[in-house]
Amino acid sequence: MAADERSSVTEEFEALVVPVLDSAYRTALRLAGNQAAAEDLVQDAALLALRGFGSFRKGTNFKAWFFRILMNRFYSDYRRARRAGTPVDLEDTPELYLRSRAEAAGIIGPDDPADAVIDRIDTELAVAALDALPDEFRTAATLYFTQDFSYQEIADVLGVPIGTVRSRLHRARRLLQRTLWQVAEERGVVTGPEVGS
Amino acid sequence: MSHLTPLNCKEAFARLADYVDRELTEQELTEVREHVAVCAVCAREFKFEEHVLEALRERICRIQVPSDLVARVTAALRARKGDAGR
Repeated sequence: MAADERSSVTEEFEALVVPVLDSAYRTALRLAGNQAAAEDLVQDAALLALRGFGSFRKGTNFKAWFFRILMNRFYSDYRRARRAGTPVDLEDTPELYLRSRAEAAGIIGPDDPADAVIDRIDTELAVAALDALPDEFRTAATLYFTQDFSYQEIADVLGVPIGTVRSRLHRARRLLQRTLWQVAEERGVVTGPEVGS
Repeated sequence: MSHLTPLNCKEAFARLADYVDRELTEQELTEVREHVAVCAVCAREFKFEEHVLEALRERICRIQVPSDLVARVTAALRARKGDAGR
């Protein structure tokens, strides 16, 4: 490829990648766990994507294509360095877990909105609960929470069937509710009686 | 109203996760909305799940992106433009 052509390709690539860098950083930070690693991950992904730009089909979803490269890079080089979160009980969790625990703890009455629970959840608590999820659930949930991706786009990014994404996200959300409550109890944010789960 | 048989609570509840993820078809969504419009218990449960999810998303996305991120990445790309499209 001639130098002029390479410059032109780089410009075309930049026009596509720059608008998604901020959102890529948000996902990278939640995946990698710290700012320096997240910045490196985004930059590494951008350089890899530039190198592989010839395989991108114009008119298709650039963001999903780029995020797939970012996820692959995370799996290959960053996942091992990530800090471990609170161990999570993998026993399946019923729907409405948080609501039933909050009701049992007297935080909300049966007719109250979610505000009383939400007010007790800060960013640190939410991220701690996300971090505690096992990898396969955490990666899907991170893409789900940090991006406005559909199930199909998450499936494309992770390279798994859409049914797998759906079941992982449904279970991740239930596990997240259990972990939120567990972490909140550990931190003294909530206290309450045990209820059947 | 839908021309189909209205959902019962169990059927509506089975769609809760796809509902909050905005992954229902128009027909499925209409059926769920018709159910929660007449069922106060399900309406409260759906609203609770939606609100908790929105709050979690807002908190998890509460991130300050470094102001020099774009400059750093574009500088790296330009330094490596020889790799473009290989």
